[in-house]
Amino acid sequence: MIRDFSLIWQSADRLLDGLINTVLLSLVGAVLALALGALLAIPLMASNPVLRLVSRGFVDLMRCVPFLMLTYLVYYGLPRLGLRFDNWTAGLVAIVVYNTAYMAEIIRGIWSRLERETIEAAVAFGFHGWRLVSRIILPQIVLAAGPMIGNQLIQIIKDTAFLTIIAVPELTHAANSIQAQYFIPFATFITAVLLYWALCMLVEVGVYAVERIAEKRR
Amino acid sequence: MTDTASESRDAPVLAPVLEISGLTKTFDDKVVLDGVSLTVARGQTVCLLGPSGSGKSTLLRCVNWLEKPDQGTVLLCGERIGMRPGGVVPMGNAELAKLRMRMGTVFQHFNLWPHLTVLQNIIEAPVHVQKRRREEVIAEAEALLENVGLADKRDAFPSRLSGGQKQRVGIARALAMKPELLLFDEPTSALDPELVGEVVAVMKSLSQAGSTMLVVTHEMGFARETADKVVLMDGGRVVEEGGPEEFFGNPRTERARQFLQRYVSA
Amino acid sequence: MTLNAFLSLLNGAGVTISVSLAGIALGVPFGLALALLRWQRVPLLAPLATVYVSLLRSTPAVTLCLLIFFALPVIGIEIDALSAAVATLALNTAAFNCEIWRSGLMNFSRDQIEAARTFGMSGPLTFRRIIFPQLWRTCLPSLVNEMTLLIKSSTAIAVIGVAEITRAAIRIGAQTYDPLPPMLVATGIYIVLVLVFVGLQRFTERVYGHAGGAA
Repeated sequence: MIRDFSLIWQSADRLLDGLINTVLLSLVGAVLALALGALLAIPLMASNPVLRLVSRGFVDLMRCVPFLMLTYLVYYGLPRLGLRFDNWTAGLVAIVVYNTAYMAEIIRGIWSRLERETIEAAVAFGFHGWRLVSRIILPQIVLAAGPMIGNQLIQIIKDTAFLTIIAVPELTHAANSIQAQYFIPFATFITAVLLYWALCMLVEVGVYAVERIAEKRR
Repeated sequence: MTDTASESRDAPVLAPVLEISGLTKTFDDKVVLDGVSLTVARGQTVCLLGPSGSGKSTLLRCVNWLEKPDQGTVLLCGERIGMRPGGVVPMGNAELAKLRMRMGTVFQHFNLWPHLTVLQNIIEAPVHVQKRRREEVIAEAEALLENVGLADKRDAFPSRLSGGQKQRVGIARALAMKPELLLFDEPTSALDPELVGEVVAVMKSLSQAGSTMLVVTHEMGFARETADKVVLMDGGRVVEEGGPEEFFGNPRTERARQFLQRYVSA
Repeated sequence: MTLNAFLSLLNGAGVTISVSLAGIALGVPFGLALALLRWQRVPLLAPLATVYVSLLRSTPAVTLCLLIFFALPVIGIEIDALSAAVATLALNTAAFNCEIWRSGLMNFSRDQIEAARTFGMSGPLTFRRIIFPQLWRTCLPSLVNEMTLLIKSSTAIAVIGVAEITRAAIRIGAQTYDPLPPMLVATGIYIVLVLVFVGLQRFTERVYGHAGGAA
């Protein structure tokens, strides 16, 4: 067993590459999905029924489809529409499309639970349009969303493991190729699991820090 | 304030700060406002009394168009609110905002913005809506906080304040807009009895300093001592209006007598 | 897409459903056991359960599946793909179920437990007769919600060659050089499956109260 782990140590650079790809895909994917999700939350909350129906349809569709299925659809389907990506980009596109729906739903949920009074006060003081959203509504959403966005980020980190199936060189893919080379599956996958655990712990520490800030402001 | 209502009304042809006429509002078949007319002259404090459900708060919400009345007009210093000149085309949000920023509203449940500190709450709208210079607004806000006795809470978040402190911040926030009209929507109703006094004291001094105020309240003591005019509403109508002496001492209508018996137990 | 292809997708759906149900059947009671260990603060075992939950909640199903399928034989436990698939889903969902059961237990009325004690009921008897009959009702909507998530993560078992829906779709796509139609049909099947569970969740919510999130 000790020999196994020393073999892994020798392949540490490959694991590290995988880890970096996992982190990059998760972070870039989460940031883009959050930004797009915030935009998508606006039609979700719109009074126009057509806007609401279309955006709600997209969100509910994504919530019914397994992430791997969407990844395949992006990987095999988009080239037919003339959009050709490499594996890495296809994976990122899948993460962003999928999680935009989840982020939008998180934001919509918080938005609809925001105290209507604080928004009404802002309207009475002459706030309207984008300034109302950016100065009064968004800051309150951001402060309330920490734990849920953290959970979603953990979900994204875990979902990146699916991308091994379309040969994106992320952490699980790296682990799988190392174990196949040296036949040491136990040590490699345990190492991978511990690395995922560490990543998720980091996210939780981050959420905890944001919560400390948010607690005073609610 | 030594002026009485009638003297103010006799003042030269200046348009009243607020002129409401024939306001009607219905919620799902329930008539909440039934042709209400009311004026508030410059420097006046008008108290709006009445049992709950009589339409007082709805009237106030119609003044800054948080609620759209079905009929009637609201004029702020002679300018129509909610409708463009001609009275057919409704105003857009930006036009409404221009009028709303000339009024300061104090809410029953304070409605402070929880993500901002006390000082930030006060300067938020003057800086970002009225686009005034930040340094100037901060200096004014600090003076206002001094006046309401909360200079030491400048950097606290609203969640750390008592109800009375929150409401005094709410008042400072409204004053920072340099409003032509102050609207108070039951400012003491959500407060513990022992905290009512501090808020009433601030309102009294504002009134004495000549602010124009429309106050929905259940504080009979405040109305009696401070108001230039008392308006009693019931069932969406104004049933009696007059000076406080007359209203509390010698009400003209039977409805007013009943109301006073129930609400002024002393 | 031929009828044969469609039938093999349906067959895949059968595999997805049976493996998922097996995972649920094992994972829900295992989660309850973990929750009870933590709730009763059993020395040694309670902290182990805490670590288990934290670890499994951050482990991707794909990685867990590979670990079980490839690593268990190395330490002398032979396991076929289907059993590895069931074990993956059960171990994974148990961690989430534990949190659901635990929050139900934490919110359970102290007074009722004290009342049971004053009537001389033992701990296990109190759990069986007083706590559990109420607990499963309050936890059911959240448990069903977790089942919906399990269906979606069950695609992970395709990685070790189990012929569930996703795997079937890929195989048909590879045979016909036209991957899109089988994938769209597979997506449709997933949507139906998830909607069945969402419907079930709505139903349990209506009958037994409210759950945390939706699918």
